[in-house]
Amino acid sequence: MEANAIKTAQAGTLESMDCLVMITEWSAGRLVEVSGGAVVRFKASMEKHINDTLDALGTDEPLRISVQDNGALDVVLGARIEAAYKRYARLAV
Amino acid sequence: MEINAAKRKIPSLIEGYGETSGKLYEGVFARAPHGYRAGPKIRTAAPNSGSKVTGGIKEAVMASGLKSGMTISFHHHLRNGDFVVNEVIRACAELGIGDLTIFPTALFDVHKMIIPYIESGVVAKIMGSVNGAIGKLVSNGELGTPVVLRSHGGRPRAVMSGDVHIDAAFIAAPAADRGGNISGRTGKSACGSIGYAFTDAEYADVVVAVTDNLQSFPISPVSIPGIYVDLVAVTDSIGDPAGIVSGTTKVTRDPLRLLIANYASKLIEASPYFMDGISFQTGAGGIPLAVTAYMKEAMKRRNITGSFGLGGITGYFVDLMKEGLVRKLMDVQSFDLKAVNSIASDPNHIEISADWYANPWNCGVAVNMLDVVILGATEVDMDFNANVNTEADGALLHGIGGHQDTAAGAKLTIIAQPLLRGRIPCVVERVHTLTTPGEVVDALVTEFGVTINPRRKDLLDAVADFVISKQIPLVPMEELAARARAMSGPMEPIRVTDKVVAVVEWRDGTVIDVVRRIEK
Amino acid sequence: MRRTMLYLPGNNPNMLLRGHLFEPDGLVIDLEDAVSASEKDSARVLVREVLRRGEFGRCEVTVRINGLDTELWRDDIAAVVSCGVSGIRAPKVESPQTVLDLDEEISKTEEKFGVTQGSTKIFCLLESARGVWKACDIAAASPRVTAILPGGEDLAADLRTGRSKEGTELEWIRRMLIVAARAAGVDALDTVFPHVTDDEGLRRETAFVKQLGFDGKSVIHPNQIPIIHEIYAPTEREIETAQRIVEAASAAAARGLGAVSLDGRMIDAPVIRRAEYTLVRAGLSREKV
Repeated sequence: MEANAIKTAQAGTLESMDCLVMITEWSAGRLVEVSGGAVVRFKASMEKHINDTLDALGTDEPLRISVQDNGALDVVLGARIEAAYKRYARLAV
Repeated sequence: MEINAAKRKIPSLIEGYGETSGKLYEGVFARAPHGYRAGPKIRTAAPNSGSKVTGGIKEAVMASGLKSGMTISFHHHLRNGDFVVNEVIRACAELGIGDLTIFPTALFDVHKMIIPYIESGVVAKIMGSVNGAIGKLVSNGELGTPVVLRSHGGRPRAVMSGDVHIDAAFIAAPAADRGGNISGRTGKSACGSIGYAFTDAEYADVVVAVTDNLQSFPISPVSIPGIYVDLVAVTDSIGDPAGIVSGTTKVTRDPLRLLIANYASKLIEASPYFMDGISFQTGAGGIPLAVTAYMKEAMKRRNITGSFGLGGITGYFVDLMKEGLVRKLMDVQSFDLKAVNSIASDPNHIEISADWYANPWNCGVAVNMLDVVILGATEVDMDFNANVNTEADGALLHGIGGHQDTAAGAKLTIIAQPLLRGRIPCVVERVHTLTTPGEVVDALVTEFGVTINPRRKDLLDAVADFVISKQIPLVPMEELAARARAMSGPMEPIRVTDKVVAVVEWRDGTVIDVVRRIEK
Repeated sequence: MRRTMLYLPGNNPNMLLRGHLFEPDGLVIDLEDAVSASEKDSARVLVREVLRRGEFGRCEVTVRINGLDTELWRDDIAAVVSCGVSGIRAPKVESPQTVLDLDEEISKTEEKFGVTQGSTKIFCLLESARGVWKACDIAAASPRVTAILPGGEDLAADLRTGRSKEGTELEWIRRMLIVAARAAGVDALDTVFPHVTDDEGLRRETAFVKQLGFDGKSVIHPNQIPIIHEIYAPTEREIETAQRIVEAASAAAARGLGAVSLDGRMIDAPVIRRAEYTLVRAGLSREKV
């Protein structure tokens, strides 16, 4: 069973102007999911910023990125993605 | 498709509302009334009958002669504690009365109980502000006809001018007697002022007082006299006190709100209206209430006393009066226990009707006597146009309240609002829904400072000293908008369908905007 | 001017982005006590990004790093010095050696990231009896040191007492630190007043430390800022005197005179400096950097 444990890491909070990022291993490609009140007006730019941040971190692993947003600006969103990814990358394979 | 004077596109025909040509918004003060007031049916009380008590709500509905397809009205003084709307609709359903138009002053989340009756056709149409679950239902286009949103002044105007005819008014009455005299001051469901109900009592063909507190005849003081009231229904409880009034109203300690409130109060202090006799309306929201607290300090410091506080009254305003900082309170809605107790005991705390408060078409509307009003908005655009009706996603959020009326009447109209709520900016290129035109909005106050409508050059001159001494950071609208854009990034547009889910009337009864259903 | 330096929790985006709007003289972004052990890494990334964005109005921006007794402080310095902060607030400074260790690490980091050598200042928190006892040596240990500050809870515990509202346990320490700071030529900044709803208590304490000579206080809640500024605001009479002194001094300088007298009193350099500082506090002139 242990061999099947899913590699997962998270960062951030659900406080105002923050977001909770969860990164889990994924079968193929990169799946980005965002939810929260701002999504209706900022979906495309949030997704782009998430992808740009991960690209800048130099990853091309298959990842599923789930973001529960509570009003994070890009600067915060990027920081949470980076923190979550670095935690993820530190996990034993 | 028509285009009104506020450059909003309005369909020529709105199903369930009617033709819009001749009813398009023409300008803030463009439309003048003509002719005579509409009137209700003339009725008499039976001689020697002694009592109008007819049993419970169901018996009263039967006795009222209410029929399918009629229009019934309610007031919202019991707020989120109200049982009366739900009970009356339920009684109608049980009696097989349907296809009703309900004409409330506002609906709250507690009224989501009527959703099944909307779905089953008991309620066909809503004319009044909708919040919570019903708001969502309407936004999703699940009501056959659009809701009609009117301001606190626009509603009595619509009634007295004949735009809306009320067949039956059901008036929640915290105290009543067998003669039909009504008061909101006492009883377990006391709510203080019942100002929103006055016009309904005067203009409905049949008026039913619904009370859980039948007193011996006559009660005093009387808010609505029995001469307007046909029937009295007695029930166990008309509302849940916990939802009717909040215990105490405390000024926020939230630093961001205090910062905004402080800037707003400095603006008021710097304005030419800050002198003996100043009158103001601040409502019950977090920021406006804090503005009142700062103004209190400023009034004491500069030895100024105000003439009256207007609108929805809180305990905080009551304290201002007790301390001699304002002479009178003109109360259309009492927000907390302290306000309820004050209106019940202090003759300087005056109960006023929505008509008196805000109706543009009478000879003594109180908002026209107002110096300063502090308002909120979900969106303000580059022309200072304000939206209070729809949320960032385009869904219906709020009614108009007194927004249009006070903005149009007051000498200084301030919208105080954080620039960002989370990522969502309040300053936008163009408001999604137009509630109040920028012509009557004088300043926007955010955490970044004070933004004055360039139209108000006099105000810009008046605040110059406060700007130099750094008490007021002045931020031009362009800079504020650029800041908002830089922080939140480009916004995607709201996609809507052609279906109109709400009609927003300007206070004079013209169509200033419509709310369209959001695309799924 | 450092009348008010507002602490911002390092893992709280709302405060990090909005803290400057309350117009304190300075910000202290906190990576130490305000961040739980499990969030240190995440907070450091967030703080670095917010510092890079760099919208802090006119505030002096400093960061309280984790103590030199932890594994974290070098990473903290690397993350924030590279963004060009004004200063590092170092907790639990015990001796001049602590300052020298910090200085060395900061110098290396400044060089690595092309930040002007010496531009990152050090604010020393003295949170133990040892640290307080060596206050003057600590303050003089490096030209980077720009201020010393007494600790709060930790210091009280080290003294084997607790914090009182009257601040009895800090009374002598405050008097000592002001002497040490002036002897070393650095600022003396007071600790926070933790009772955030007790405005009167804050007023009393601020008036007291101002009279002792403190340059300002650390601030835990934005609502405390206007109160402290009000107490530090010079009176109209002080402003008027200061204006006359500055005018007389500049008139004398224009005539090439060294010594100036006003109302029969000699005005020397320290008096002129104080007068200039009064005008800065009154918002009538900008601070000379």
